[in-house]
Amino acid sequence: MGFIQIIIYISIYIGLVAISFYILSYLSDAKKKRKFFKDSELPFITVIIPAYNEEESIARTIESITKSDYPKNKYEVLVVDDGSTDKTLQIAKKYESKFLKVFHKKNGGKASALNYGIKRCKGEFIFSMDADTFVNQKSMKQMIKYFKDPDVMSVTPAMLIHKPKSILQRVQHVEYLLGLFLRKTFAALNAVYITPGAFSAYRKTFFDKYGGYDVGNITEDLEMSIRIQYLGYKIENCPEAAVYTIAPSKFKPLLIQRRRWYYGLIKNLWKYKKVFGRKYGDLGTFVLPISLISIFFAVFVIIYLFIKTIFNVRSELLFLNSVNYNFSSILNINFYFIERALFLFFTNPTVLFILFFMVILGFYIRFAAQKVGKSSGLIINLPLFFLLFAILFGFWWVVSVIYLIFSRSIKWK
Amino acid sequence: MISRPVQSKKRYLWAFLIGSLIFLIIFGLSYSLSFLEFQRVSNLQIETSFQIFEDKLDYSIFDQGVCSKESFEKISQDLRFQGRIIDDLEKKLGKQDKRVLLRKKFYTLIELEHFEFTNLLNEQCNLGKKTILFFYSNEKKDLDRSEQTGELLNVIYKRNENIIIYSFDINLESDLIEKLKIKHQIEESPTLIINEKTKVFNPKNIQDIEKHLN
Repeated sequence: MGFIQIIIYISIYIGLVAISFYILSYLSDAKKKRKFFKDSELPFITVIIPAYNEEESIARTIESITKSDYPKNKYEVLVVDDGSTDKTLQIAKKYESKFLKVFHKKNGGKASALNYGIKRCKGEFIFSMDADTFVNQKSMKQMIKYFKDPDVMSVTPAMLIHKPKSILQRVQHVEYLLGLFLRKTFAALNAVYITPGAFSAYRKTFFDKYGGYDVGNITEDLEMSIRIQYLGYKIENCPEAAVYTIAPSKFKPLLIQRRRWYYGLIKNLWKYKKVFGRKYGDLGTFVLPISLISIFFAVFVIIYLFIKTIFNVRSELLFLNSVNYNFSSILNINFYFIERALFLFFTNPTVLFILFFMVILGFYIRFAAQKVGKSSGLIINLPLFFLLFAILFGFWWVVSVIYLIFSRSIKWK
Repeated sequence: MISRPVQSKKRYLWAFLIGSLIFLIIFGLSYSLSFLEFQRVSNLQIETSFQIFEDKLDYSIFDQGVCSKESFEKISQDLRFQGRIIDDLEKKLGKQDKRVLLRKKFYTLIELEHFEFTNLLNEQCNLGKKTILFFYSNEKKDLDRSEQTGELLNVIYKRNENIIIYSFDINLESDLIEKLKIKHQIEESPTLIINEKTKVFNPKNIQDIEKHLN
């Protein structure tokens, strides 16, 4: 057995133990009873929408939040235009009303826009919402109920992709669906370490006590969630609260987004490195170390595959040259060829493990369907995900690590 | 601030046990499939050798015509298929696996039996089959070269209908292989003996082989 095979089997083994642990944790949590706010106890809340050059989506975002079934007299919306150079401000102004206020400030980044809104809000709880995000009518009410527990400082929703069309959006669609189960499991373990910037809820007193968003941090939402964990509070997850975001449809914007996320994750984990260890329960003992190990293996395998592919292409070219590029003689697919190929395929333990992982992912998808309803397009999106995600994930991480090593600066906008 | 011990140490133990069990079951399943394939090659070898014996005895004892092309093609195809299965089993169970080595020895016997039968048919029926004896090695220093020659031979086989290729592992502990090596003066691999006349060492391209076939 070669070195790379050993590495692959170790990563598979760790993956199996992790999956077993997460499923056991989910099942154990399902038996627990939580306390929720009743409808009559719903508190006053504020939705802050920081916006920078979002003329294409801001109207729809505002409309989606104003259609919420949350009692109209119990929430306000603050749109903070962060020095947009397009028509974002003018469009937002059209929706100004008693409960929707529009502010304009000099461009200073998302964190500064959010802090601007936090200073001016009246709500006991704050929702941060991206200007290209749409929420279901019930989502806010479903999420806010979790704050009945005084230790809960943040609640995350079920993030989904809005109308995936391009190949990359379809891959992200499945990625987000699969994330629903893990996010719920992490919440069960009190180990959520990412609160989506697109839409998350926070207890206002946390900002009052520990300050607002970290201005200058490229992943201010991530910093906030790790800070909440670092300070020993809870982050809950409401998998029924569907929230839709517009995913990057092309390779370069998606790479830039992921590079920012992953770079920010490493930076913020380093900033709060004390969260690793027994003091932080399952988060520090298992969830974070396993996440980092998975990333390490993904990077390792993608580098290995890249180098191996180069050598394979080289040797294939040499071989083709040695047979005078006689393709018809090489591609002789007959019954024996297919039989042998199937044998090699199905007796490869790695293939069997991948099939097993696919079954588990099927279970995750089923969980997502139960919580947010069936997703259309899965017949196309799932194969695309299985084909492309691992390569993309490894590639994004390799690029992020390179940026980190060479300390290139990355900006939000 | 809240205290946060791990929720359940027992759960970690269960996860470790379940994960390990799944890992072992899948490895066991993969190994079982390979073992079934091993049994299949064993049965196929017996069938092929039986068929060759039967055809040859038909001819030598009962003076029956051996020129039935259909029977010969079937045996040749089975033989080639066996070679592929053994090749795959080497990959799955290891080149040094005793069971695989035993099957390879048996395969060598059947190949030689078939080789002799081909020569007989060439003589008696003017079959016009060309033969290549391929001496390869799985030793680390020769493995790449041997595999490359094997790939070239695959292409040659597909381009030439009248060719039969017999492969022999020169490191197989077998008296027959040793005698073959002495007979054809094989000292290194990969070496080809084409039509029992021409010796070609480490061919680089198909021309190096095909020019000796005509």
